[in-house]
Amino acid sequence: MAVVVLLSVLSRGVVAQSFEFDQLYNQICDYTVTVKIQVELSFGTQTSEHEERLMGTIVSPEGLIVFDGSFLIEESPFVPSAGFSFRTTPGRIEVITLAGDKYDAEFVGVDRYTGFGFAKIYGANIEFKPVEFIPVKKFEVGDWFATYALLPEFVDPPLAADIGMVSNLITAPEDFPLTVGFNALEFASVLYNEELKAVGLLGELTDPGRSGGNGSGMMESFGQMEMPLLGVITAERLEVLIANPPRRGKVDRSWLGITMQSLTVDIAEFLGLDDPGGIIVNEVMPGSPAANAGLQIGDIIHAVDGVRVEVDRDDQLAVFQRRVSAMGIGTTAELTVIRPVGEQLDTLRLLTLLKAAPMAASDADRFEYEPFEMTARNLVFSDFLNYNVEQNSLEGVVVSELKPGGLANISGFRLGDVIQRINDQMVIGVDDFSSSLTAIESERPSEVVFFVWRFGKTLFINVRTDWP
Amino acid sequence: MRYWITILLLLIATTTTVGAPVSSYQEHVYLARDRVLPALVHIQPVVEDYQTGELKKQAVVGSGVIFHPDGYIVTNYHVAGKALRIICTLNDREELLADYVGGDPSTDIAVLKLRLQDYTGEIAVAKLGDSDSIQVGQQVLAMGSPLSLARSVSAGVISTKDRYFSSDYRLPSGEKTGRYNLWIQTDAAINFGNSGGPLVDLSGRVIGINSRATFMANNLGFAIPINVVKEVTRAILEGGEVPRSWIGVHAQAMQELENYFGTDRNTGVLIASIDPGSPAEEAFLKAGDIVLQINDQSVSARFVEELPAFYNWIARVTPGSKLKLTILRGEETYSFEVTTRPLGQLQGEDYECSDWGFTVRNITHQMQLSNQLRDSVGVLVTGVRRIGPADLGGLNRGDVLKSVIRVPITGLPDLIEQYNRLTDENPNKLLLTVNRNGAIRLIVLDLEKGVSQGDK
Repeated sequence: MAVVVLLSVLSRGVVAQSFEFDQLYNQICDYTVTVKIQVELSFGTQTSEHEERLMGTIVSPEGLIVFDGSFLIEESPFVPSAGFSFRTTPGRIEVITLAGDKYDAEFVGVDRYTGFGFAKIYGANIEFKPVEFIPVKKFEVGDWFATYALLPEFVDPPLAADIGMVSNLITAPEDFPLTVGFNALEFASVLYNEELKAVGLLGELTDPGRSGGNGSGMMESFGQMEMPLLGVITAERLEVLIANPPRRGKVDRSWLGITMQSLTVDIAEFLGLDDPGGIIVNEVMPGSPAANAGLQIGDIIHAVDGVRVEVDRDDQLAVFQRRVSAMGIGTTAELTVIRPVGEQLDTLRLLTLLKAAPMAASDADRFEYEPFEMTARNLVFSDFLNYNVEQNSLEGVVVSELKPGGLANISGFRLGDVIQRINDQMVIGVDDFSSSLTAIESERPSEVVFFVWRFGKTLFINVRTDWP
Repeated sequence: MRYWITILLLLIATTTTVGAPVSSYQEHVYLARDRVLPALVHIQPVVEDYQTGELKKQAVVGSGVIFHPDGYIVTNYHVAGKALRIICTLNDREELLADYVGGDPSTDIAVLKLRLQDYTGEIAVAKLGDSDSIQVGQQVLAMGSPLSLARSVSAGVISTKDRYFSSDYRLPSGEKTGRYNLWIQTDAAINFGNSGGPLVDLSGRVIGINSRATFMANNLGFAIPINVVKEVTRAILEGGEVPRSWIGVHAQAMQELENYFGTDRNTGVLIASIDPGSPAEEAFLKAGDIVLQINDQSVSARFVEELPAFYNWIARVTPGSKLKLTILRGEETYSFEVTTRPLGQLQGEDYECSDWGFTVRNITHQMQLSNQLRDSVGVLVTGVRRIGPADLGGLNRGDVLKSVIRVPITGLPDLIEQYNRLTDENPNKLLLTVNRNGAIRLIVLDLEKGVSQGDK
């Protein structure tokens, strides 16, 4: 089954690449699995369920599995202001080895930068033999890699081999060995070199220009409409992810808490700086690491931990955001800051303890109240931006899902409404929301009156109940 | 054979036309036509539009009716409110210029005055009726220029006399409208161009001003009741606008909430929302308060159709008046004194910075409230011209301009001063500071990039 590929490469003339695919197939049998995930997809008033079937790779002896989780990333670029988001909820996960052994697994989380999803096998009292990634010192254009793609379910055996080549070594916005020959369906597949060592996973370079550019880094879009830039997510990056996989609902990103823009050549000129590149602080969130460090509106972040911030275009802001978010919660960062004081420019060194970035709307605690067919969740940082009100100037829970024709829907609720009171009970979080409604339900009143904030105004909504 | 058939047809034709008596309905239609049609005006204003980031002139068409022998015409604000030049065609097809006298976006009414110096004909004046005594099912005529077809008459009935529209509806120029009035709904055909024209009863009196048609629907037209129009035109003739009092409360119909608040039917007006910084807030009114009386007169709004009357009650008092509100809060009744303030302009004045490639609007207090701005300092960017310097520099519609080359802009006069000064100085680049969603942002305009309209 050895495959010989003949290909003409300009610089090398005619070369033959040879991978021992028989040997490779035997090797991957230990850790290559099929992952079946039941997914509930909801978009405000619409919900649907379906099953995804993907190839997965066991990456730890305890049974941690990595797979293409990009479809589970939730921040939607389409509805930033609607107060609700597109939400995917993974349900039951089944893992099937190539030998046919079946295990149950629980969802762990998705890394928002690579799009890799993680799940963990439970209830299997065995030690798995995971894939071992080997760091590559230097990638070169022309390096060949092999991988496997998962075939449709009616085909047996389930895997097909594929090969590709490093086509470019991208250096900006970050180092990324770009490949040619692979396709997007092989996303998150293991890449092997000619020695059959795993060098990384097939990943994608995302355009930082698609970031919303706000300080939270929460509106970044990972959706790409054009040809994906596929390449190698290296062993070094994977090691960090595997050691500390992202957990849904738990924020592992750090942030400064500023709204920012880049120090462009034009603005640098106006400010009397000969050297463009930096982050202009446009807003400092109260209580944020930036505020604690004494950062002020108009300050320019020139360097972080002594490394120059070379962001001189707004479409590069996400590079800075990613850098800060990857530094980690609890890390102390040293900011070199230029502060315009009158005509003068002062240079300051500020130390700040990075804190967890605010929770995304999709991660906020939620409660579905079935009798009224509505779901509400806690208010999060981005809600205040969307509502165009000051942070924490509102209390309540956000109506995030409404079933069409449900009691809440026909009583006049809209997505994005902020429920502040139920009858005479104040509602500050979903716990209040669920406990108020549970208490009310036991009395089975004929109506429940909600006091609701809706884009700058308030109103009362009466739900005429229909207890079963 | 053919000869005979022709004779026969002629005979039938003559007997039917000559012999049939004119119905009473038809007589009334003729009467109403003769009384109002001579006062009907076809209006062609040239209006200003700032939405695209540059001042664009647009020729529009509407209708109007002469209601005063001095040549005063009533029409819609959305027809002639932002007019630069107004051409009117009277029913005798004579063209005259008219001047804008004043308008009221809240009720979508404007008053124009014909320039009669060179007019030799006789000005016909339509009689205004009483819209409080109209009935559903009553036959009516709509007159105007549907799709610019002047001197058109259509007929129908009054479908509803108290149609309510939420005051979130905005005119094309951006003002919220409909807070202070209900509409007469009619199935008499009303199309674009009928706007501002009269809705006439069969005694030949104007009972409404046609102002809204419905897209994708048949025979759904809406007219502003003439009693509202009379009040508004009177104020406009006196002072060019309608002075209104404001206390900053938003009411909600009580229906379905009486049980919760423990009130009797048709008792009180529920305050659902209070504007920040308003007289109501300063008087410590709260959402959930029920206004039982204003100045010892009972008020109520069980249905949405009753809300405009409540808002009008407050709007009608002289700004600065003290109102005594009797409030039910919980189970107690309290008395509050609220001092009204002038409502002021819904929208500020527009201005075009053509060399810089954007348009702005002065921020009025009402704009600050409806755009959720933190204050009214600065000017609101209303449009950014495509590929102009501002567009290339990253300015967005909705930004609030706070400074130009570090000179603070508190309002439109500041900006005009800076714009004129800098146009003379002709710098290559400008630094603007704007507020976008609560955060400051710096924007550089490269005035050599992006060709201004005038240079083309």
